[in-house]
Amino acid sequence: MNRLAGIITANYSTDDMGILTEERGIASMPFGGRYRLIDFALSNMVNSEVDVVGLIMPYKYRSLIDHTGAGSEFTLDRKRGGLNILPGTAFGISNRGSRFTLRDIRNNNIFFERATEDYFVLTASHFIFNMDFNDMLDYHIKSGADITMAYTDEIDICHQANSIQIENGVVKKINKGSWPGQSTFIDTFIISRDLLMKIIECNEAVDYMDFFDLLGQEIDRYNVRAYEFNGYVRSIASINDYYKVNMDLLKEDVYDSLFIDERPIRTKVQDCVPSRFLPGSSIVHSLVSSGCNVEGTVDGSVIFRGCTIEKGATVKNSIIMQSCVIKSGAYIEHAIIDRNNVVGSNMTIKGTKDNLFIMEKSGKKR
Amino acid sequence: MRKQKECIAMLLAGGQGSRLGALTKNIAKPAVSFCGKYRIIDFSLSNCINSGIDTVGVLTQYRPFQLNTYVGNGSAWDFNDIDGGLYILPPYMTEREGRWYAGTADAIYRNLEFIELYNPQYVLILSGDHLYRMDYSKMLDSHKKKNADVTISVMPVDWDEASRFGIITTDENKDIVKFTEKPKEPDSNLASMGVYIFNTSVLKKALIEDAEDETSSHDFGKNIIPKLLSEGKRLNAFEFKGYWRDIGTIDSYYNTSMELLSLNPPFNLMDDHFPIMSNSNIFPVQFIGEEAKVDDCMTNNGCKIFGEVSHSIVGIESVIEKDAVVKDSILLPGCRIGKGATVIHAIIGEEAVVPEGTTFGSEDEIAVLGNDITLEEGN
Repeated sequence: MNRLAGIITANYSTDDMGILTEERGIASMPFGGRYRLIDFALSNMVNSEVDVVGLIMPYKYRSLIDHTGAGSEFTLDRKRGGLNILPGTAFGISNRGSRFTLRDIRNNNIFFERATEDYFVLTASHFIFNMDFNDMLDYHIKSGADITMAYTDEIDICHQANSIQIENGVVKKINKGSWPGQSTFIDTFIISRDLLMKIIECNEAVDYMDFFDLLGQEIDRYNVRAYEFNGYVRSIASINDYYKVNMDLLKEDVYDSLFIDERPIRTKVQDCVPSRFLPGSSIVHSLVSSGCNVEGTVDGSVIFRGCTIEKGATVKNSIIMQSCVIKSGAYIEHAIIDRNNVVGSNMTIKGTKDNLFIMEKSGKKR
Repeated sequence: MRKQKECIAMLLAGGQGSRLGALTKNIAKPAVSFCGKYRIIDFSLSNCINSGIDTVGVLTQYRPFQLNTYVGNGSAWDFNDIDGGLYILPPYMTEREGRWYAGTADAIYRNLEFIELYNPQYVLILSGDHLYRMDYSKMLDSHKKKNADVTISVMPVDWDEASRFGIITTDENKDIVKFTEKPKEPDSNLASMGVYIFNTSVLKKALIEDAEDETSSHDFGKNIIPKLLSEGKRLNAFEFKGYWRDIGTIDSYYNTSMELLSLNPPFNLMDDHFPIMSNSNIFPVQFIGEEAKVDDCMTNNGCKIFGEVSHSIVGIESVIEKDAVVKDSILLPGCRIGKGATVIHAIIGEEAVVPEGTTFGSEDEIAVLGNDITLEEGN
């Protein structure tokens, strides 16, 4: 009998992602050469043997549905349980900022009532980490907590996240924004189904509120405990976050702490052919996905599936998303090139570390 | 009653492939890794689904475990169809006896029940160990048009290779007048590719009669085809134009792989309309280290390269550590080339290890390190 059911709120959005989230929610942002952000939350669920997962959808959900399908890549296409696509309630307004809106839970009451699991793990879809929720659940049960919030001390600044003040393992205060020296809530918490239902019921009148805004107001009413997650974890809530975390993957220890054999990050399979590094190509310190053709120079970059880097082209400190062609003689530095773009020959695209060049997604697949 | 199928495929995947030596020591030939991410059976299975054949029986016998786990229910090739599907058909016991498949014909004979379940008009017989891209529906069209009892897919081969194959002579209508299995002195260079389409009734009758013949070795090439020819059945040749390789020996395995690595490969793995599908696990993207040198290579997801690799194929999840040198080689999935090690002109098996500082292979001949083997000092 499984103890845990899961909820992933995929409807968080922020203006800080700029043009990259014009047509897609953050949850379906391409990441790390072949993934989308949602893969981490979904993989954490199934790797923790959670096989009932509700996915609360963003306003722009086409690319997310395209990616998850019926959940078969995550072994969630099940007779019992499996992946449940749940409507988000903020349609029409873009639900900026909030992760765990009470109304999202209340309106999907039936999902919670049907689940036979005693506990729920709720997680947002824009955090990158690889975690076994069972350890957190054990802590939750053993400590007798009403609510257990996962946190890290490793995130320097994240003004979109919440920080928590902890005394002897108990959460005393929840603050907006997280600054150096503070503990950052990583938008992952465990609660019993009964308590969650009770809180939702009692606060029907204020169901536009975020769960943690509400909790912050009555923190002393509950035994809220903090659970430290020690692995690599980062929030992706802005273009700079997005760039930095992709670049972090170039560090072997980060790569190894996210991509663990026993807890693989799953994603939609595309049956891409192997990549080809042609004679004369030069590639160092980079991540390259399958189906790429590289004849030029690549350094310090993340190259997604099916890209072509022609002879004499240079890509430095950049992210090139799926199916882009970098023509001969082009020079790209400190840039994020979204999907399906062709960068013309001898074109120079140069951003800086603090002011990245962003090329928006091109409509047509080549 | 099931929906009747026009054509189902029976895929012979029970062979050992002993000429592949160390590569098939613990797995069947169709399950041997190819180009770093595929397994040889991917080509036949992809051909089937791309040709509109959604029902396949896979006949297994030799070392089936890895093949079975790899093929699974066939969903990786979209065989999870509502009224078709992929079925593994191993040898089985009856109330009277239990024995292995005695030959290719015997394997199909003992699964006639499976064929009857789908009651197809035609049965496509394939082997799971060839590299090619073929639309079987075109062969089926030809079979129907020529009103044949059996159609055999053929292609011309080099004369000096002809004695390795079933050799066919045809008349002007492409009707087969002579078939000789592995002739010592071939009088034609038209070789059977081991791809047959049978009218189901013809196949059934031939297999039942063959099963009762105690002198038969129950083989399609040696017994069934010559028998049907002698009975005056209409056997037609369908000429296949395209790239086809029997990757049955270490030399052909290596040379075929290197052909695909050439600048203008004769076989394009990528074809959006006729994709070669596979069932690999999901691995993260390739990690190319700060001091890595990668020149003229084919590489796959999950590999990590910190050393120097040239003119080689790097399989999924294989690792080339710092200061290692890999040249003219094929690294199968999950192998590890230790720090400062050298690998030249070699095939390194799955999960095999070339330890730190050692050397494996030389320019003279192709060296093979078998699956799961750790190279020992001075070996």
